[in-house]
Amino acid sequence: MAVTIDPIHQFELKSLVPLGHIGHQQLAFTQSALYMFAAVGVVALITIVATASRSVVPGRMQSLAEVFYEFIEDTLHQATGDGGKKFMPLVFSLFMFVLILNLFGMIPYAFAVTSHLIITFGLAALVISVVVGYGVYKHGAHFFGLFVPSGVPKVLLAILVPIEVISFISRPISLSVRLFANMLAGHIAMKIFAFFVVQLLLAGAWSVLSPLPLFLTIALTALEFLVAALQAYVFATLTAIYLNDALHPGH
Amino acid sequence: MNGDDARGGNGDAGEPPEGDLSARLRRLEAQIERKRPSVAPATSARPRDTDRTPLGQAMTLSTEFVAGVIAGGVLGWIADHLLGTKPWGMIVLLLLGCVAGFYNVMRASGFAGSRPGRRDGADR
Repeated sequence: MAVTIDPIHQFELKSLVPLGHIGHQQLAFTQSALYMFAAVGVVALITIVATASRSVVPGRMQSLAEVFYEFIEDTLHQATGDGGKKFMPLVFSLFMFVLILNLFGMIPYAFAVTSHLIITFGLAALVISVVVGYGVYKHGAHFFGLFVPSGVPKVLLAILVPIEVISFISRPISLSVRLFANMLAGHIAMKIFAFFVVQLLLAGAWSVLSPLPLFLTIALTALEFLVAALQAYVFATLTAIYLNDALHPGH
Repeated sequence: MNGDDARGGNGDAGEPPEGDLSARLRRLEAQIERKRPSVAPATSARPRDTDRTPLGQAMTLSTEFVAGVIAGGVLGWIADHLLGTKPWGMIVLLLLGCVAGFYNVMRASGFAGSRPGRRDGADR
């Protein structure tokens, strides 16, 4: 009918406070930045304010914070062993930030920050630069032994080392694309199926079918909540696994 | 047992005595410990956590492959730009990136070892 579908519209950046230009690139405080500040606020609320009382028997908010903390600590410990403790702040912050942003995206009319590739790539670049920086700082040139598979004939190394290097460089890409693609695809799918409901309602006799996409939309929404939490967890797990390479590069 | 905390008077009359409670707590802990999946020694493989849903698995494998190709392509483009070897860097590195993508997928799906460098110290 006359209603047009525009599933991409929700990802548009809106400038709230223009800040000027660099060259031809406009700088602005967008709603994306606003959501990120809000996410940091919520994380701070959960972790700082809720645990301020430090009661032995935790209240509701405090036990929520403790659950998150113990969960991530467990994940980190499983991936990196004992040496990984010092990365707990990094992994925990990343997890909470991504989780809260993903969940913000599930609020109707809200903006999903993590559906922008540059955000997730920025986070992944941070992770990988910590991995490389710490690995080189801790192990020096030995860190690059990561790229040399052991137990392989010397002739094959000429091919395998470039492949390993490319495989390593592809890590931040796959880390960021996975989160971004999941969020983007999920939000577009929800939008389209929700739009089917409207379209069927306007289609005369066909409107009897409109509950079908409605149920699908409900199911998709539930799935998206799962994906939002799961992708934050995957991001944290992969971060921990990559950090493990910095802590223990191949012997 | 631990009578060190002065409880408020919120305990109603039917509450079991303290010793009974701690015994129950201990029993509960033992039960939880039995139920808990034994934590495998850190194998540091690629996570299979994403594989819980088929959609997640598809996402994981496809991003792993695409990331390899993109990394190869970008490296090739940079090499061509810096070294002036116009088509060749792109061709070679894109192919290598394709191989790396397949390698990533094999690793993510568990066909290849987790990390080649990780085998016990048979290094040369």
